[in-house]
Amino acid sequence: MSKAQQNANIQAEKQLIQRINEAGMSEGGKRAGLLRKIIEILTHQLSPMIPMYMENVLSFINDKLPETRKIIIAFIEELSTNFPENLPKVISNLQLLVTDPVVAVQKRAIQAASVIYKNVLTWLCSSTNEQEAKLVWEHMNKTKLLILNMIDSENEGIRTHAIKFLEEVVLLQTATNSSSTDFSLNNISKSLTFINQDALEEEAEHIFQLLLKFHNSQHISSVNLMACMTTLIALAKCRPKYLPRVLQALGDLHTTLPPTLSQSQVNSVRKHLRIQLISLVKQTSVNDMIPQLLQLLTDIGMTQQEINKVVPKEKRHKRVLALATASESKSDSPAKRLRLDSPPLSQGSDSNSNSRIDFDDDSSQSSKTSLVSEDTLFDGLNSIDNVINLVLATLVNNLPNEMPNTFLMNYKPIPNSGSKPQIRHLAKMIHAVIKGEPELPVTPAPVPLPVPAPVTKIPLLSEDDEKITLKNAVAKLQETTKDRQVENAVTKLMEETRQEFIKEGERKAKEKEKLVPPQTPTVPKLKQKVKLLKLQEITRPIPKEIKEKIMLQAVARILHADKEAAIGGAAQIRAKFITIFASSYTPDIRELVLNYILEDPLNRIDLGLAWLYEEYAYMQGFNRHPVTLQKISDKHDENYSQLLCALVTQVCERGDPLMENSKEILLRRIYCEAPVVTLEAVDYLKHLVVEEKSILALELLEELCVVRPPRAHKYAPALVFHVLNENQDVRDFALKATVKIFKSGSDAVKKVVEKHALLYLGFIALDNPPSELISSRLNIRVWTDDLYKVCLNLVMALFMENDELIIDVARVYGCAGAEAKRCVLRAIESPLRAVAASAPPGTIPSAFHILLQDCPRGAETLLTRLVHILTDRAPPSPELVSRVRELYATRVSDVRFLIPVLNGLSKREILAALPKLIKLNPNVVKEVFNKLLGLQNPNNEILPVSPEELLVALHLIDPNKADLKFIIKATGLCFAEKQVYTQDVVSAVLQRLAEEQDTPVLMMRSVLQALTLYPNLGPLALNILQLLIDREVWSNKVAWEGWVKCCERLGSQATKVLIALPARALPSVPPNLARLIETTEGSNPFSPPPVSNPIEPLPPGME
Amino acid sequence: MNRSMEAHAFLVKKGFKVKSFGTGEKVKLPGTSADRPNCYEFGIAYDDIYNDLLEKDKSYYTQNGLLHMLDRNRRIKPCPEKFQASNEIFDVVITCEERVYDQVIEWFVSRKTVCNQPVHIINIDIQDNHEEATIGAFLISDMVTKMSQSDDLDNDIDELLHEFESKCHRPILNSIMFY
Repeated sequence: MSKAQQNANIQAEKQLIQRINEAGMSEGGKRAGLLRKIIEILTHQLSPMIPMYMENVLSFINDKLPETRKIIIAFIEELSTNFPENLPKVISNLQLLVTDPVVAVQKRAIQAASVIYKNVLTWLCSSTNEQEAKLVWEHMNKTKLLILNMIDSENEGIRTHAIKFLEEVVLLQTATNSSSTDFSLNNISKSLTFINQDALEEEAEHIFQLLLKFHNSQHISSVNLMACMTTLIALAKCRPKYLPRVLQALGDLHTTLPPTLSQSQVNSVRKHLRIQLISLVKQTSVNDMIPQLLQLLTDIGMTQQEINKVVPKEKRHKRVLALATASESKSDSPAKRLRLDSPPLSQGSDSNSNSRIDFDDDSSQSSKTSLVSEDTLFDGLNSIDNVINLVLATLVNNLPNEMPNTFLMNYKPIPNSGSKPQIRHLAKMIHAVIKGEPELPVTPAPVPLPVPAPVTKIPLLSEDDEKITLKNAVAKLQETTKDRQVENAVTKLMEETRQEFIKEGERKAKEKEKLVPPQTPTVPKLKQKVKLLKLQEITRPIPKEIKEKIMLQAVARILHADKEAAIGGAAQIRAKFITIFASSYTPDIRELVLNYILEDPLNRIDLGLAWLYEEYAYMQGFNRHPVTLQKISDKHDENYSQLLCALVTQVCERGDPLMENSKEILLRRIYCEAPVVTLEAVDYLKHLVVEEKSILALELLEELCVVRPPRAHKYAPALVFHVLNENQDVRDFALKATVKIFKSGSDAVKKVVEKHALLYLGFIALDNPPSELISSRLNIRVWTDDLYKVCLNLVMALFMENDELIIDVARVYGCAGAEAKRCVLRAIESPLRAVAASAPPGTIPSAFHILLQDCPRGAETLLTRLVHILTDRAPPSPELVSRVRELYATRVSDVRFLIPVLNGLSKREILAALPKLIKLNPNVVKEVFNKLLGLQNPNNEILPVSPEELLVALHLIDPNKADLKFIIKATGLCFAEKQVYTQDVVSAVLQRLAEEQDTPVLMMRSVLQALTLYPNLGPLALNILQLLIDREVWSNKVAWEGWVKCCERLGSQATKVLIALPARALPSVPPNLARLIETTEGSNPFSPPPVSNPIEPLPPGME
Repeated sequence: MNRSMEAHAFLVKKGFKVKSFGTGEKVKLPGTSADRPNCYEFGIAYDDIYNDLLEKDKSYYTQNGLLHMLDRNRRIKPCPEKFQASNEIFDVVITCEERVYDQVIEWFVSRKTVCNQPVHIINIDIQDNHEEATIGAFLISDMVTKMSQSDDLDNDIDELLHEFESKCHRPILNSIMFY
């Protein structure tokens, strides 16, 4: 060593020490940086100093920063590679790091472990200190086991690293026949007593199988799968003895990819498989397996051209040969056997036949049929003859002379022999054997034993390693959690194509559920990181009933958390929740919420109303769910209506006495606050009227009509209906309410009410009362005045509001019976008067006008009544008069019709009608005269006929037209009115009568009456008597009687006229008067006659 | 040279430690006709290629954007590199074409693993034109950003890629290999 170099070393050591000190002082990233430099110096410049300073570096193994720990790992790795003599001191640290809590550190340690393991083996061979070597080996073994178990880790990265490590282990622990320089089992010195080479190789075999299992496990992730595939292929490349099994595994993988992969992962895996296979084909070591490889390449979808491109020419040639052999083998079974037997012969190995026998025994005394597909094998095995032949052939040809120990140890009776699944299983196994068959003959001579290994050695190994390796996850995964049945199901399922996976998965889930329900929870323990479909895989949908039950319970909890919600300020949110639950989920929840509300309706009615609004929103098409989630059958309007009705009826009919008082309030709230009151709810109100709550119901109905104008016309009928109610109170209330809503309501409401009014009006024209009236009454369908009145009350009540109803009334009146007419007349009296009174004086309300213009047939009496009422207070207008006159001329022949407008008629008309008028009922006649004489109108109106004219006219009536007694009565009426027929008037009348050409029949009677009334009229009477003498009154019998009576009344005053009687008249003079004449002639003709009593009683009406 | 460099430039700007490579035998650039591409050996400087093309047909290569691309590339690194020749160890390898992905995997398969460090190979198909390259760079950047946010990429990569795939609607291939 030169001096300069020595100086440099001293310099470096100083620097090193300084850095180590600094590193001790610093923290985190800085320390990591320093550490890196320290290691750099130590391994490159000061390698001899490593033992001295190594501890300083390793002391940072517990550093907080993962990065620092990784640096330590790299340091250990470096030491193992370049300075293996330090291994005994560092190896224990590796074990610590492999179990580091940080995943990244763990992975780095595993990664380093594979390198270190190789270095350890190499070093062991050269090591001189057996003590140290043994120590290192033990540590290494422990580390190895730790990592081995990590293939079961939950972390995918760790699993990946573990796979890679295992690959290294397998490579190192198996022998190689090639001349490669890599370390292998061959290189391990036999002198190391603590290393058992056979055990190592067994372990390698076991690990290889683990990897195979892992590779083909169902829940492997795509990355793990690809890593494992790479590993297997690498193993197959380096150790050709694994090739057949690897190919088998890859083939299986191709047909049954793990169901958990997504499409692009499947693509990745297939591509990976393809690239790996192609790389494998190019290897020289696989030449013997070329046909199988090429077959696999074809299977994964490569075209011939693609294969030609990647496979070297000479190999292809081999393939053609192989194919030829294969086709030959298909032709018949002896040929196949020949082919099977011949290759071992050429290889010159005896052990092959043994191994094959073992294999056959294992596959349950089956035989080697040459059929290709599993199905054909299955069919073949179904024939008993075939099976017998096969078994016999096997027994004859292949049975060893001694029973092998392994057979004794492993043989178990087949539990389900002969069953379909077993035959299927057998067929599958045979198929597998046939597929992998060429392996047997071509396996290189030095390694024939590993082939039976799967059968013969695993049990041994598993016993050995029970406490260590065999606890591994894959085995656990596949064996502990599943019973045989399930496994069968799974294998069966795995045969299905991937495309059918999802459907299949469901079925499987069901099967699992049925067969081993308690085991489902163990599925998550698989720990495999599975994605995408994973959830579906490891969970199964909760049964619908349970879901619904849970849902119900959840809602119930929310319902009963009212106080908590209020305290927490979430009352509104709670209400919102509840309404949403109630409105959008199952009927059960609806019922639950409804019951909750009804438990305490007074306090929870707000919730109910909120719910109503929610339902209403649905009904209006607002929706919380996307269109796709909506059930088509959902009828939200029904829900709304049902809910409303349920609330109403339940509130009403719940027999809770406490609630009795609040019922009214609740009902009011519901009806007034609900967004819409459906017809059903209205019907319920109608029904309530019939019950004891009639007035409340009616009030509600009225309120509904008032408060909800747009729909009032729908509610109105319910209310109007009750004007027919049998109960007087209800009827009155309904009537009042109806009129009220009619007054304030919209046109639609008016129309509806009117329609009903008219309907009821129409009833009266029927022969029998309709069912509406009778339904709840006695079963006698007979009209009574009351019933008529009930029918009429509405229309009459509406009269004030709409006088045009008179037209309809008249129309119905026209068709109605006499009884009904009478009732109508009675009922209509006051409304008509009210209407007439409200009209401006002197005008006719327009409706009456129409009626006057076009009176329905049969309604004339009504019309008369109407006219009467119109003229009651005021003189008839000319218009009315003319209308009446017209009607009288055309339609109404009854003279009474004229009475109301009598004073509006002309004198001539009155006089013409007079004979008819006096024939009427005495009361009417009196009324007529009152009218004519203006007695009813004290306001000095101009009378068309003066009293004088009237009386004269009466006298002049043709006795043929009217009976005399009517005229007498009429004149009597006149004379009774002393204020009108004063002395003057009467004298004027008498004078005019006297002037008549023909003496009127009643003239003398009237003179007598006038004399009785007004005795002062004596002179006038004498004049008349005188006048009559001139007319030879004695020739007229009636007049003469009157004349005589008049003379008698006049007494002595009459003497003058008596004297004037011509002689020819004297015989007719009665004796008493004749005596008077005689006395007069004899004594004093002017002495007053003795006062005598009236000879006759006064005529009627002359008191 | 187009897609990978676009992504390279983008990722460098975002602060990722990134390198870009070719995988073919030669560096191939489109020529004036389809049957006459411009081929160069790996290792030749972008400058040289730039000048070469400039000389050959300046207007044509300006128009098709090659010169612009080369100009960009030479700002990023001096010369094209070949992946198979690199000694570096990467955590993630991203390819923009299935053919390249295959080549990368083949290379990994063919070599002997030494340190057993895993590397994720990911392919996302990007068409070889300027617009797609830009879009692709964005996608790759998104993906890499997500990866960098993961605490344990080995564990999360499956899910991460699946999510990304459904987001970008492009098929993704991925695999794991070892150095």
